[in-house]
Amino acid sequence: MKKKHHSRKQAKKHTRTDRINYSLDPEFEFFGELKGLILKSSPAEKYKMVKKILGLGRVKLAVTSGIFMAENNGLDLYDTVADLFIVGDDISKDKLRPFLRALEAEVGKEIKFTLMDKDEFQYRYGMFDRFIRVLLEGPHEKIINKLGI
Amino acid sequence: MPKSKDTLDKLFGSRLRVKLLKFLFRNYPGNFNASELSHRIQESFEETKKELDFLRKLGLLKKLKN
Repeated sequence: MKKKHHSRKQAKKHTRTDRINYSLDPEFEFFGELKGLILKSSPAEKYKMVKKILGLGRVKLAVTSGIFMAENNGLDLYDTVADLFIVGDDISKDKLRPFLRALEAEVGKEIKFTLMDKDEFQYRYGMFDRFIRVLLEGPHEKIINKLGI
Repeated sequence: MPKSKDTLDKLFGSRLRVKLLKFLFRNYPGNFNASELSHRIQESFEETKKELDFLRKLGLLKKLKN
């Protein structure tokens, strides 16, 4: 009985506060410095990600861009052909799905993801495919590179 | 080398605070209410609300009424 009352009170509190939205204040004294610090991807996080990607299958190449390049200030984070691009064979879809879901929860937004097998990638790479060209000519990082490109 | 992710958590004195700031900077200039935020960063409403109040008093966050 007591518990019931508590949860009702809680629900009421939620509806009241739900009318208030919060936003970062760009007037904050250290706004820019803090942004750089918070969004800087740490080597430990990158290492963890590489390990997980290697566990997905026979991964030959993994490229991060967009959201993962956040430490470059002034760059439009949202204008990218892919945040994460993986080239590999026998990639486990059962492992890929939870991997992407966990990554999206951590990043806090949807990740633009592209997967290609090695043959398709090499064909497209050789013919200067637009997607590959835009990705590899823009700001990116090859976190796994077994293709020597 | 120590894990640099933990370094920020320790420096800021709160793992949740860092998580919340990460979400807000990555989604800047978006604005969110407390229950939406707690859901997105997968933390309890009460703890999230506490951090929001703290950061607002500090001047890093501003409240917008709908």
